[in-house]
Amino acid sequence: MPFHQKLKAIILPFTLLSWLILLTSTLLHASPAAAARVGLPPEWVTLLAQAFFVLGVFLHQRSRPDPLRGTDFVGLLRQLVLGPGLLAAACVGLHLFERFVQYQQPGADRLLFAGVYTINLGLFIVFLAYANYAWRSLVLFRSTPRLRRDWVWFEILLGTTLLFRLFGWTPPAPVAYFILGGVAVFGFYMSGNQKWVAYLNRRQKWEVVFMQLTLLLCLGVFTLYFLRIGQDTQSVAPESQHSFLLLMVFFAGFYALAGLLVTFFNLPTVGVFEQKREEILGLQRLTQLIQKGQSEEEVYQMLFEAAIQTVEADAAWLDIETDEALHTGQRHVISEAHVEAIRTLLTDYNLGQIEYLNNDLPNSSGFRSLDLPYGSLIVMPMRSAKRHYGALYMLKEQRQSFDRENLSLLQTFTSQTVLSIENLQLVTASLQNERVKEELKIASSVQDSLIPKDLPIDDWFEIGSHALAAKEVGGDFYDFLHLPGKRLAILIGDVSGKGITAAFHMAQMKGIFHALMQENPLAKDDREKFPVPSKFMSMANRALTHCLEKSSFITAALYIVDYEHGGFVFARAGHCHTLYYHSIKEEVSYFRTAGLGLGIIRNDSYEKHIKNQFYDYNPGDVMVIYTDGIVEARGADQEEYGEERLKQMLEHTYYLEADAIKQQILNDLNEFSKGQPMHDDQTLLVIKFKAAQPEANI
Amino acid sequence: MKITQQTTENTLTLSLDGELDASSSVLLDTELTKPEVLDYRKVLIDCQRLNYISSAGLGVFISHLQRFQDANVKLVFFNMQEKVHNVFEILGLDTLMTIVPSEAEATAI
Repeated sequence: MPFHQKLKAIILPFTLLSWLILLTSTLLHASPAAAARVGLPPEWVTLLAQAFFVLGVFLHQRSRPDPLRGTDFVGLLRQLVLGPGLLAAACVGLHLFERFVQYQQPGADRLLFAGVYTINLGLFIVFLAYANYAWRSLVLFRSTPRLRRDWVWFEILLGTTLLFRLFGWTPPAPVAYFILGGVAVFGFYMSGNQKWVAYLNRRQKWEVVFMQLTLLLCLGVFTLYFLRIGQDTQSVAPESQHSFLLLMVFFAGFYALAGLLVTFFNLPTVGVFEQKREEILGLQRLTQLIQKGQSEEEVYQMLFEAAIQTVEADAAWLDIETDEALHTGQRHVISEAHVEAIRTLLTDYNLGQIEYLNNDLPNSSGFRSLDLPYGSLIVMPMRSAKRHYGALYMLKEQRQSFDRENLSLLQTFTSQTVLSIENLQLVTASLQNERVKEELKIASSVQDSLIPKDLPIDDWFEIGSHALAAKEVGGDFYDFLHLPGKRLAILIGDVSGKGITAAFHMAQMKGIFHALMQENPLAKDDREKFPVPSKFMSMANRALTHCLEKSSFITAALYIVDYEHGGFVFARAGHCHTLYYHSIKEEVSYFRTAGLGLGIIRNDSYEKHIKNQFYDYNPGDVMVIYTDGIVEARGADQEEYGEERLKQMLEHTYYLEADAIKQQILNDLNEFSKGQPMHDDQTLLVIKFKAAQPEANI
Repeated sequence: MKITQQTTENTLTLSLDGELDASSSVLLDTELTKPEVLDYRKVLIDCQRLNYISSAGLGVFISHLQRFQDANVKLVFFNMQEKVHNVFEILGLDTLMTIVPSEAEATAI
């Protein structure tokens, strides 16, 4: 708003100019000699200059930023007393100086009189404007929009009335009374808005009372001055000026007086206000501690201090209950021996750890016998739905010192504390959790590295593989190992259970596989350099005997494919049956062989429970090996995927490449168990035997 | 999972109702671990209402197998559903444990 800013810029010079005109006019009135030479200015010029001066000062003051900073009412009043107080002091000083001069030279200089008068007039108007807008800040503190609108009307009405008085126009008697009465009522209504007083504490209230008294004193000084010289001004200023000024005093004085009274009568209740404030602050402090994530110790200390301060306890202590024991966490003006004595007494009465208020301790014989100087006691337990955290004990020397409010306040304090403590524990737990998760992630990546990434590639077969753990780490495993003489060992297995334990055993099993599949240098026959599958299983069973816990077992199947001779030998140790497509018979079936899981029998009799199976494959045959996570996957009705459905899938897909068969099966499985949680790790290997490539035969 | 007990002079019969998974197998383990179980000559497991058995459930039986044998207590399963029997069979447990079709045959042993 450029216009608004331009206006603001010219206000100050304009006001100063008005005052200079006023000064000139008054001086001319005072000095007939000068008036004779220059000519006496007409009265309206004086009045207009004065009116503009008043308007200028008020507008300037109005456009200044709100003098109230936050809720610093005392600061505002201090400014008001210091600034305009100085003005009043200047006024008194000037007047005294003038009186002194007049005393020295009686009937002397009227010019000095007129000068001092004009200066004081200026000072007074500045004082009024300052006071008026300071009051505005107070009246409009946290005000409604309606009150703000009312204030504008009040300003307009006051201004209009003042202007009437200034120009010496007096409305007919009833109208004048009506207008004056209206302004008075309005002023009274405005003076009633003393909301700010409630925000002061006791000390501030006393300060405010004294400052308002000072302010009234300043007002009184100015009023007295203008009343005193009222009769004497005829020659220097129009009479109407004074009635205007006196009316101006009305609102400023009235508001100061009303504020003074309100503050004064608020003094007795200030204690209650402060106590409530203290309670709220205590609660706030406690709440803030939660966010800061301080230690439990600090939370307890905070509670203890806040509680003592709020109920003004003469003695107090705090019991803290941990999983192991109960101990005194904090004490205030009471010895451990006394604490112990009271605690024992309360326990005898079955009153420990429950909410309890006794305002007449000397009346209880048990307590009398302790001979302690206390009259009232509050016990406030700290507990949540889960557990007890201890209790807060507050003592006062006077009887009948605690009331229901104290009790409910302490209740709020303790529940807030319990909340903080549990929150802290949650934070600790979640940090711990975070760390465990981090470690699981590491375990997961370690395990991932145990699963072969590069599948064996050769002309004689193709392999598709899939492995997915239900949790971060799993118990399924598979591995490949090329053996000399165009042979390939394939191991698949599943450790009972899931998670970390299973993952450990899975890693162990992989170690066992690589350790046992080493060439035996003592073997006479090439074929005996590596253990046959059943031998491998008995050796693995023996190796696992000492490291597998009693209720754990491992199922595994080992296949050794000899693709020079087109056959394979395998042993199944309790593992899922192998699904097989015979290309010549054009038939899909399971190899239903016997074989006991590893770790079930932990002695040499295991050998009797494991057998080798030999099979000659043909090009085009497909072997599907998997873990129970596949066939036991649950569908929407909780039924299992099952061997039958897997078999049907192979019947429909055997002609595809190994990877495509695997994908088709997985798609069907995912479709089947859509929306169901994954219960178990899933591993699926599809091996398709192929005819030898032509160049291999050349 | 619900486990109900029935005792005669030298036979303890446990009827399993529901799914024997990781959490419910703890219940079963508690039952089988009780020392008085070994006072019976036979412990019969009625599997008629056993719909599912996880590896943890199998682990419970496996872990007590040796203990029962050492104490000369016979562990006999009967009324086993086809799919549960299949799980025992795949793991090879049918060769180690006595599984019979009916209660009459179980008591006759």
